[in-house]
Amino acid sequence: MTRITLGGAVLRGAVSTALTASLMAAPALGAPPVDLSKWSPEYVRSIAGTQEFDTAADCGKVTPLDYKGRLTFWYQGVFEGDPDLLRQYYKDFFETFRKTYPNIQLEEQALTYNDLLDKFRTALLGNAAPMAVRLQILGGTEFASKGYLQPLKPEDVGYSTEDFWPGAMKAVTWDGVTYGIPTNNETMAFIWNADIFKRAGLDPDKAPATWDDVVKYSKQIHDKLGIAGYGLVARKNAGNTPYRFMPQLWAYGGGVFDETAASPTYKQIELDSQQSKAALQASYDMYVRDKSVPVSALTNQQADNQPLFLAGQLGMMISHPSDYNVMLDLQKKATGTDKDKAQTVIDNMRYGLIPTGPDGKRAVVFGGSNIHILKPEYVEGGKVDEPAAKAIICMWTSPEWSLKMAYAGSNPGNLNGFKTKWMKERLDNIKFLDVTTSMLPYGIPFPALPQSPEIMNIIIPDMLQNALTGAMTVDQAADDAAKKVKDLMGGGL
Amino acid sequence: MTIVTGKAEARRRLRSARSGVLRKVWKHRADYAYVLPAIAVMLIVIAYPIYYTIELSFFNTPPGLQLRDKTFVGIDNYTAILTSQVFWRVTLNTMIWTVASTFISFVLGFAAALALHRDFIGRGILRAILIIPWVISAVAASYIWKWIYHSDFGVIGAVLVGLGLADRPPNFIDSVSTVLPSLIVVNIWREFPFAMIMMMAGLQTIPDQLLRAAKVDGANAWQRFWHVTFPHLRNVSTVTILLLAVANFNSFIIPWIMTGGGPSNASHIWITHIYELAFGRQRWGVASAYSVLLFLILMTLGYFYVRALSGNERKDGSA
Repeated sequence: MTRITLGGAVLRGAVSTALTASLMAAPALGAPPVDLSKWSPEYVRSIAGTQEFDTAADCGKVTPLDYKGRLTFWYQGVFEGDPDLLRQYYKDFFETFRKTYPNIQLEEQALTYNDLLDKFRTALLGNAAPMAVRLQILGGTEFASKGYLQPLKPEDVGYSTEDFWPGAMKAVTWDGVTYGIPTNNETMAFIWNADIFKRAGLDPDKAPATWDDVVKYSKQIHDKLGIAGYGLVARKNAGNTPYRFMPQLWAYGGGVFDETAASPTYKQIELDSQQSKAALQASYDMYVRDKSVPVSALTNQQADNQPLFLAGQLGMMISHPSDYNVMLDLQKKATGTDKDKAQTVIDNMRYGLIPTGPDGKRAVVFGGSNIHILKPEYVEGGKVDEPAAKAIICMWTSPEWSLKMAYAGSNPGNLNGFKTKWMKERLDNIKFLDVTTSMLPYGIPFPALPQSPEIMNIIIPDMLQNALTGAMTVDQAADDAAKKVKDLMGGGL
Repeated sequence: MTIVTGKAEARRRLRSARSGVLRKVWKHRADYAYVLPAIAVMLIVIAYPIYYTIELSFFNTPPGLQLRDKTFVGIDNYTAILTSQVFWRVTLNTMIWTVASTFISFVLGFAAALALHRDFIGRGILRAILIIPWVISAVAASYIWKWIYHSDFGVIGAVLVGLGLADRPPNFIDSVSTVLPSLIVVNIWREFPFAMIMMMAGLQTIPDQLLRAAKVDGANAWQRFWHVTFPHLRNVSTVTILLLAVANFNSFIIPWIMTGGGPSNASHIWITHIYELAFGRQRWGVASAYSVLLFLILMTLGYFYVRALSGNERKDGSA
């Protein structure tokens, strides 16, 4: 049972308000299409299905529908951990684009989250990049700061800056200039198996309130049932690792810099703070001391946790609402008694808010993707067909498609997406969507720095691996990571 | 006077030598024309990248800047590499990986070749089966082995726990002490058929009459192997070992797919580390310096390879 004290409640309220203010602080004057101050599952339900949009007509004003051109386009596409539903929407999008713009010769290429950055960087070195690219949220500032991207703001494709999450706009802004448009934004939630909780002697209907509870619950599940408690992920070069560790780090009051502040300066490195070390210690306790998480956490990503969870071998994990659909897809593929076992797990699947830290701080990564146009000199052939690029960007970031392309696993980048009929349909079809939309105000964007991809994909996982393998103590691992960040920011070799 | 005469004589000899070379080139002009396209392609796809890599190794390339904004740092990249702890760790890993993979693959391949050289029922089928690891895609093999080794629900772990031989699945690739040996096993599994094929080819060149003569002279099986078979295979063995060593130095797919060099850099070898430095961390300058060092090592191995091949040719020519 969680005791609520007045002090704790005030602190939690203050932290939550600060985070919400940070995320929602609009960079420009203007009213957003939805009232972000009223954000709640009830509010989201009340606005769903209240407005109609005609995507083809809207985009036709940006690029005429009979425009003749050619476009090369790379995007972070669906991967093995995504549900079939999402695959279908991606297929539908490109079919619809080709029908809407029959004279644009589109050459698209899908790449997985973990491969896209490497391939894109290599292509840029050889001036062989595509004309337009949809990157993970981490990538925007890296490529904008290096001068590879053209300035591009929502107004350029018929929308307004206020139509997008202010926090997401920060991720596409470098030196005061906007270089891209958010396509989708999401926050994850906490998932648990109620049946495992019950058998382990825990309250099946309550998520652990704090990260310390996660450590305790994980141990209890492991000790009583002999299975893994929490789905820790610590693989290097995998987006899944920072998305799961950073909420823990922030909740304990730590951070890489001051990215949780309303106006971060990114000047002070916080990875070696006592709070950051406490967060790392929690992972150490689960992996080394209690052995209550999958041993394979160091080479695992979330896609590896999904079958473990479905097999009833994992009690808790952090993920998207889409994991429910992934479980349904996997269950359909199961045979014999496995099918029934999987159904039992699905029936017992519960979603809740991500736990808080010891001081009541709740945080989650404000994730998502952005879409950008490259400068001609870095593109194969040295030319960019801007009208064609704007046509696909207008369509992808439209209320309709920014929602459909995020149907199962994310949320529309364009806030008008929440008003569409498809949002209403989605609220009925996607179980637990309320929980993840409720996490949005707690979202913290990754530091808007060109060095962020290396920090999040390499330095943070390295720190975890160094501590969890015993190669370093928790203190040494945190200090080592802080030093690496310092060297990186200093532009060292 | 004498000096002047000597110089004149030297110039005359040089002119004569030059005209001799030119005459030879002219005589073989058609041959040169045939290989010219290949040389041109090699210059573009090999010589220029080598030159560019060497050049880049003397520059600092901060990840926040474009490559064109690089700054000249002299030998700082080399100094940074040689004074970094990670370098020595990765170098030790590379040595263990290369030596163990090469030696064990060769021994197993040689043993298999000797066994399959004998005539017995099912030899063809067995030979075909043993070649499978070599022809299978390295990427597919890496994923399969990753699941075989999986620390929570891998095949090996399940079998050991099922048979009551272990309480929990062994930790193969999530431990700093077992990850490298585990990857070496996969590499050997993939490479020993290559050694086997090479040695089988070598065994077929040994004249039967020599072995029969040795048998008539009273040599036992070991003596026939040691004094007849093995000396005949010395050159093919050298070539096989050198090819395996070069392949292992350059090995990327298995460690990268199975562990990405982790956990905690315990399975990083030079190639994976260079890849991470360049494409993950965008330290193109440092990665280039690493590549230059690796290039020098491989060129040394290449020299011995060519020498071994030339030795073969000289021997064949004199026989």
